[in-house]
Amino acid sequence: MFFDQYNCGKFFDEMFAGDSQGPREHYRVVRDRFRELTEDDLDAKRRRLDRSFLEHGITFTVYGDDDGTERIFPFDPLPRVIPADEWEKIENGLIQRITALNHFLYDIYHEEKIIQDGIIPEHVIKSAEHYRPEFRGLKVPRDIYIHICGTDLIRDDDGNYLVLEDNGRCPSGVSYVLENRTALKRAFPRLYQRMQVEPVDGYTAALLRTLQDVAPHGKSDPMCVLLTPGVYNSAYFEHTFLARRMGIEIVEGRDLIASDGFIYMRTTKGLVQVDVIYRRIDDEFLDPTVFREDSALGVPGLIEAYRRGNVTLANAIGTGVADDKVTYAYVPDMIRYYLDQEPILPNVQTYLAWDDNDRKYILENLDKLVVKAANESGGYGMLMGPTAAAEEREQFRRRIEETPRNYIAQPVVNLSRHPTFCEDGRIEGRHVDLRPFVLSGDRVTVMPGGLTRVALKKDSLVVNSSQGGGSKDTWVLKRRQEED
Amino acid sequence: MLSRVADSLYWMARYIERAGNVARLVEANSSLELDSTTSQRADSLAFWRPVLEATALVDAYNEAVAERPELTIPDFLMLDPKNPDSIVASVSEARENARMVRDQISSEMWLELNTLHLFLKSQGAAEWTSRPEDFFARIIRFSLLFQGITDATVPQNEGWHFIQAGICLERADKTSRILDIPHRVQGARSAAPWGTVLGSCSAGPAYRDLYGDAVDEWKVTNLLIFSDSFPRSVRFCLRRLNEVLHAISGTPQGQYSNEAERLTGSALAGLDFADPNDVAQAGLSAYVDQLQRNFNEISQKIFETYVLLPSELQSLNIDSRYVHAYNQQQQQQQQ
Repeated sequence: MFFDQYNCGKFFDEMFAGDSQGPREHYRVVRDRFRELTEDDLDAKRRRLDRSFLEHGITFTVYGDDDGTERIFPFDPLPRVIPADEWEKIENGLIQRITALNHFLYDIYHEEKIIQDGIIPEHVIKSAEHYRPEFRGLKVPRDIYIHICGTDLIRDDDGNYLVLEDNGRCPSGVSYVLENRTALKRAFPRLYQRMQVEPVDGYTAALLRTLQDVAPHGKSDPMCVLLTPGVYNSAYFEHTFLARRMGIEIVEGRDLIASDGFIYMRTTKGLVQVDVIYRRIDDEFLDPTVFREDSALGVPGLIEAYRRGNVTLANAIGTGVADDKVTYAYVPDMIRYYLDQEPILPNVQTYLAWDDNDRKYILENLDKLVVKAANESGGYGMLMGPTAAAEEREQFRRRIEETPRNYIAQPVVNLSRHPTFCEDGRIEGRHVDLRPFVLSGDRVTVMPGGLTRVALKKDSLVVNSSQGGGSKDTWVLKRRQEED
Repeated sequence: MLSRVADSLYWMARYIERAGNVARLVEANSSLELDSTTSQRADSLAFWRPVLEATALVDAYNEAVAERPELTIPDFLMLDPKNPDSIVASVSEARENARMVRDQISSEMWLELNTLHLFLKSQGAAEWTSRPEDFFARIIRFSLLFQGITDATVPQNEGWHFIQAGICLERADKTSRILDIPHRVQGARSAAPWGTVLGSCSAGPAYRDLYGDAVDEWKVTNLLIFSDSFPRSVRFCLRRLNEVLHAISGTPQGQYSNEAERLTGSALAGLDFADPNDVAQAGLSAYVDQLQRNFNEISQKIFETYVLLPSELQSLNIDSRYVHAYNQQQQQQQQ
């Protein structure tokens, strides 16, 4: 019943090939299952899902929201399905990309060959907000900088997957992937079984193995901990979730103490040396004696221990330079330069305001482009040219002219849509993206699927949880037996 | 276990026990007020002052009432968020501590605590004076229920032992303070206040089992300080504390491995070989004051032994640049 009046609009739809056509082949079983549900069935299932999220305390915090600081991340029961061959391409593309990014970070903190060979202008790197020249020449275990990456993918009008950004600092959201799966498996057990979905719950074991792989001095059986800013952080639920699943301690800065270039954790049985820190704190807050003095979150002396190679930070310090949206524009070039390969997953076409020609184009086409600040995330610091008020466009014009290095522009990519339950119980198309999680230790591991975020507001292209986004479970299908 | 986690569990438990005991204190005194003569009742301030004295809150109240002249002592003790020992403040502190260790406690514990917290912030709580007995009963029942839920839902390992330590120390302290109230009420020498004291320690039936109906100070003191079977007596709580501290460190009974254990053992031995005549000789108020000083010292030593770790830190070579920053982080001690 639910799909009778469904309208694909002018967008690429994940489930349907077009208005008058049936579902795409890999969605047929899902469509049939949901079509046979009555509204009451669905209500009951949704209520059970919501209760399960609440009881598990799967919540996030919205800053600047005074009443009840915790909310559930809205969850849509209709899963997103990705067929095996489609996924294989994404996986290869992600592995290629993280490999190039780690080469790049090693290079710019050591020889800077990519600059000398004229691939990336020196000023682009050196002016990046999160470039950390003071860590040049520092050796990190296995030369890996980004151990945990959450790359955002979108699909254009033709269904091509494009990379929107690489989150190489402290990407979050993976706990929702795991909890969404647990909840949906319980709600639709037979459908899940029939669909032959790749499991995701190996993620935490793979994450722990990744952390152990990069222990200082190749130490075996290292002490790994998760460093959180504390209970008031919006992702605190995720921090406790991951620490628990990995069976490691979740620590705050005040639980750690530095001495003679080593880091210890204060326990009731005395001080215990810590080897690897999965830190969910940004660089600037890690050590008040080096970075922000006013920060009470970090550990005084942590940087000294890090410099001496006695403790590994995951991710390493200084990866933010790769997150910079200007650097992002050069990732395809990095792939060609370091790996001598063509990028499997293309970027969104990007204009760089520091370049005179590009800037001229941007300023002439502000009403057609999306303008983004180079170092903002979460959907902040952004101009949606076609829908913005003239006044807002003028504001961005001035900012771009004042600090061109800080801005890039991209054509509006509509993002594919996915049938989604709306408040009135009907199903309508809503825009989605996909954040797969990539781990780099001894080898690169890509979690099958990732977090599908959905913009619950009609016509909105902003999927961030802080701005009214929700999520879906993402089902990557197993390769069919006969194809093996 | 992380020191901070142990510290939070300990204080969560203390604050919850404290909320229950403040309710017991105020309930005891309200009931005395009903028994009192008209002239006494006219001077409510004089009547409530002993409770402030027994809980060392005289200065805090004077400060608060200077700002808000309409503030009554019972309101100050119940609902004033600025009084660090009020029920509202205790429950709120307990919740903050529980939040820090939410992954270490059961969802049932959190739910119970959060429900009470929301109630105390509601209008219904602000109107507690219209049905005071319901209000007291709810707080007392909450603290007992929370402890029962704790015992039935979390593993009884190190964390649970820290919770027990918090409960024992707080309960011993507050039982001694409740016992001290009649002496601080001027002219109250009848049997009535001692009966009330028993009631507010849930000790009525235990007393009658032992001594029958006639209530006198010597026997009440014997029960509430020296009983080795009544779970709210000071000696019982100290013995339990002694056990859990030894369980935490793994040290055999009869020996000690840190100052917290030594002081607890010593205080316990004092009670093991004393009786109400010793109390009468020293004066009840002076006797319980000394006990309370011991409790404070034990709590401080638990903090030093398991959280601050001074001896371990001294053996480390810590850069002086870091010491300052480190000390700043450790300043948020609770009490």
